[in-house]
Amino acid sequence: MSARNFRVAGQRLPRMDGIGKVTGKHVYAADFTLAGMLFGKILRSTRAHALIRRLDTSRAAAMPGVRAVITAADIPAVRFGQAVRDTTVFALDRVLFMGHPIAAVAAVSLEIAVQALAAIDVDYEDLPAVFDMEAALKSAVLVHPEWATYKALPIIARSGNISGRARIKAGDVEAAFAGAHRVYEHRFTTALQHPGYTEPRAAVADWDANGNVTVWTGTQLPFDTQNTLAEILDLPSSRVRVIVPGIGGGFGGKLRIGVEHFAALLARKTARPVRVITTSEEELTHSYPRQATVVTLKTGVDRDGHLLARQGRIVLDCGAYAGSGPATAAIALQVLAGPYKTAALALESFAVYTNKGTSGSFRGPAGPMANFAVESQMDMIAADLGLDPLEIRLRNIVHEGDRGPSGEVLRAVSIEECLRRAAAAIGWDDRKPAPGRGKGIACGWWMTTGGSSGVYVKINPDGSATLVSGAVEIGTGAITGASQILAEELSLDLADISVTGVDTQAAPYDYGAQGSRTAFSVGNACLAAAADLRRQMFAIAAAQLDAPVEAMVLRDKHVVAGDKSISIAEVARISRLSGGGLIAHGTAISPSPAYDPGRLENHPLPAWNTPSFHAHAVDLSVDPDTGTVDIHRYVVAQDVGFAINPTYIEGQIEGGVAQGIGQALSEEIVYQDGKVMNANLTDYKMPTALDVPDIESILVECASVAGPYGAKGVGEPPCIEPPAAIANAIAAATGFWLPSLPMTAEKIARELRARRK
Amino acid sequence: MSFDLHRPSSLAEAVALAGLFGPGARFIAGGTDVVIQINRGKIAPAHLIDISLLPGLAGIAATAEGYAIGPLTTYRTIERHAAFQGPLSALVEAAAVVGGHQVRNIATVGGNIVNASPAADFVPPLLTLDAVLDIAGPQGDRTVALRDFITGPGKTSLGAGELVTAIRFARLAANSATAFFKEGRRKAMEISVVCVAASLTLDASGTRCVSARLAVGAAGPTALRPERAEASLAGQAAGLTSFRDAGRLAAEASSPISDVRASADHRRHLVAVLVERALTRCAERIAGARP
Ligand SMILES: Cc1cc2nc3c(=O)[nH]c(=O)nc-3n(C[C@H](O)[C@H](O)[C@H](O)COP(=O)(O)OP(=O)(O)OC[C@H]3O[C@@H](n4cnc5c(N)ncnc54)[C@H](O)[C@@H]3O)c2cc1C
Repeated sequence: MSARNFRVAGQRLPRMDGIGKVTGKHVYAADFTLAGMLFGKILRSTRAHALIRRLDTSRAAAMPGVRAVITAADIPAVRFGQAVRDTTVFALDRVLFMGHPIAAVAAVSLEIAVQALAAIDVDYEDLPAVFDMEAALKSAVLVHPEWATYKALPIIARSGNISGRARIKAGDVEAAFAGAHRVYEHRFTTALQHPGYTEPRAAVADWDANGNVTVWTGTQLPFDTQNTLAEILDLPSSRVRVIVPGIGGGFGGKLRIGVEHFAALLARKTARPVRVITTSEEELTHSYPRQATVVTLKTGVDRDGHLLARQGRIVLDCGAYAGSGPATAAIALQVLAGPYKTAALALESFAVYTNKGTSGSFRGPAGPMANFAVESQMDMIAADLGLDPLEIRLRNIVHEGDRGPSGEVLRAVSIEECLRRAAAAIGWDDRKPAPGRGKGIACGWWMTTGGSSGVYVKINPDGSATLVSGAVEIGTGAITGASQILAEELSLDLADISVTGVDTQAAPYDYGAQGSRTAFSVGNACLAAAADLRRQMFAIAAAQLDAPVEAMVLRDKHVVAGDKSISIAEVARISRLSGGGLIAHGTAISPSPAYDPGRLENHPLPAWNTPSFHAHAVDLSVDPDTGTVDIHRYVVAQDVGFAINPTYIEGQIEGGVAQGIGQALSEEIVYQDGKVMNANLTDYKMPTALDVPDIESILVECASVAGPYGAKGVGEPPCIEPPAAIANAIAAATGFWLPSLPMTAEKIARELRARRK
Repeated sequence: MSFDLHRPSSLAEAVALAGLFGPGARFIAGGTDVVIQINRGKIAPAHLIDISLLPGLAGIAATAEGYAIGPLTTYRTIERHAAFQGPLSALVEAAAVVGGHQVRNIATVGGNIVNASPAADFVPPLLTLDAVLDIAGPQGDRTVALRDFITGPGKTSLGAGELVTAIRFARLAANSATAFFKEGRRKAMEISVVCVAASLTLDASGTRCVSARLAVGAAGPTALRPERAEASLAGQAAGLTSFRDAGRLAAEASSPISDVRASADHRRHLVAVLVERALTRCAERIAGARP
């Protein structure tokens, strides 16, 4: 790829949405306002599991300034959900967690709406609850006693509190353990982590005179939101229009419906526009944080540290509704196998219901949790066998043409280069440079998310191009990346490309800003659209230049055939006079690799598209008394296939590592008896600028077959390895691994003291 | 939430307004505690009396016996105050780790004291300096020791309508230094899990402790002075043994709670560690300042 002489692709160009965002001109969903707008608020349960004995909204409804109060009784009885259709807008006769919506109010001011909530009377009768995910596996308390009546994707295996169970199996694990030199068994736990987007979830809804509703919202998935809203509102989806004005971060927390349905239902009842925005307390009690998990790993090795067999189990706490849990838990299985050759695998996932807020698929769903277990254990095994942590990985990693856990053939495999470059950059030869100081390494692999993308591209009579896409620019620079590809293909400058806002009514379908796919998939769709536009332009130019189409190329904003040329602008003008203008519909779908179905049971994402590979290395100190971790250097070597815009890939790496450092050391939504104990940003601890060192990025470019110019998905991977890399560095500094996230100073200090005694 | 906002232009007017509205009124200085408490529904004052523009209450003055800090002085001003960069550097160290830049530019030390959080960072250094507060009120002016002023979590001896007008403390003896340490889960925007201030005076030879004053925050209902730990140092050789003993005694004197930020056990451990560190730092500073 590097041999190609790109003008726009691969360049460090400033992002198209940058100026608007840094000058404050950019309109986010939370900024969006309509004349006559009302303010919506949600009444939430104060009990973890209880029958609603009485719900009386009459006092609230009678308050001056209150325009509507709605409960489950006022809306269509619909259950919605991704894998399992278990979710309702409001609690029905039972609340399933503290924070469960019970009613919603629309009022002329936020203050009145808040006061009205306090005037709603609810009598509860407490029920036994289940909070512990492992207890939930066998508990007599069912979060959904009616689970068997729910509709679900056919692939999902369910029973009782288990909302999804999946397996990957290969070879004979028991026989391999029996013949192993050593077998290691460990248990790891990871905590609930909020996605930490800057903008809270926000939506404004308005109904028109014909009974169509428009919702302006900061969603990552406008088309999915459109469909879910249509179900909840009991309307054909074409009557629901979703517009994304702008989104202040999402990280997976804004994939599924958040507040849009409350705004739409209240707006329908009041015939006025309604805005709903969450508070930080609502964010920390009822959003879609990264699920907490318990991972057990049993691994058998030979004398030289080669992996022979692995048995792994992940239990993932979905909270009260399945949400993304069944798929997330299943994805963990590929991560539990790791980028390693292991002949015998027996991996199993359980997504379980508990009486807590629903969790979700935060960036790299299941990635960091499973990677933390696998990569911590790799180091423990290395230490036990007297091997260098880098060496044990090099002995086990996959190479070009090896098979992945689903039996798929792996292509563009670069894990060795990632490991060697990260290790070299951190100075691996000196792994324990001082007492209390140590270096750690961790590696992994991840998918490029599939799903289809469509774009329309229009060439304007001034020679510029307009990109119409349903893909949300979530802040990664992905749409700038796709536009760089489009500009490259059309011989334009990036400044010649404009992008329309996301509007489900006008834009072609896009699977959404989820996973690591937008630049990849929209970029591919742009390639297809540009190819079509070239055909259209060459046909017009052929008549104008009297030259054969085969001789034509685009160069410097002109169609060129030998020594003849005509500007793209001129071709566009001619097309307007004769053919209605130049417009193309480009589409793309990521190809799924062939795999061995015999290895999989009930797995909704059986084999990974265009996998990426990465290694992280960190150098840190541990305070011998307080247990405080101080990170000196952090290096990431990530295979991005082709760096469409290196600056924004580095941005993704820096941001992902910051989130990973938070998960590793400080972040945790703490529940006690069903109640969140730190539902504010004072006590929920995201890292600050002082806690995150400068992050050194090494962009490895091992071109993929399927990505634009060889690109691979880049957005999610950077947050996968930090917990493991940091755990391994802490072990190098102290001699012990902490198997539980976050690895707080308190946990470290306790262990240090226990060992000193 | 709704309230009337008043902007008195003199101290007398502020006190009069506070007297008029009684318990339904609150002073607001930087607002970094008050506004959050209103937002979280912890307080619901009907009147906010904005004292941030009152003349003469911000800034640091040298006095005959030492210093007087105006209650409206911000952390930023403390951090940059030239006279605090030497033996009184605990004040700078505590100020520099409050919140983040935005908070330090607006939040006041008077607010920190009157808010009376057990974790208030600026209180321990002032306690080790035996600071006193000047108070103006409807019943006239009075002066009270900071130690006696804070009576419980969020509780002070301030009467209705009373306003803190100055924070005063004496200059340190020769061969003295101060130090402040704070532990939390992150390096900024952090409420102390434990914070410790120390003020140490050594003899002329710089080897023996003449006196020590210690204060511990976030390890009891109020910031506390561990008196046995302080007394244990008098006359002792300055060094690891005596400092470690003092740390142990300070940990014994503290009565921390377990909460979502840390366990009582960890807090007690940190008290011992930080007291030892603060004393060590003081001794290093005294040694460094000696010719
Ligand atoms: C993001 C953030 C981070 C923070 N981090 C820290 C931290 O690291 N360490 C720390 O200790 N604190 C921290 N705080 C708390 C707060 O900033 C401090 O306590 C600050 O000093 C309060 O000062 P203020 O001027 O804002 O007080 P205000 O909120 O204006 O007032 C606080 C209280 O004092 C009263 N009051 C104020 N001035 C007077 C006066 N002169 N006389 C009588 N009563 C008065 C008010 O009526 C009110 O009851 C933080 C707060 C925020 C929002």
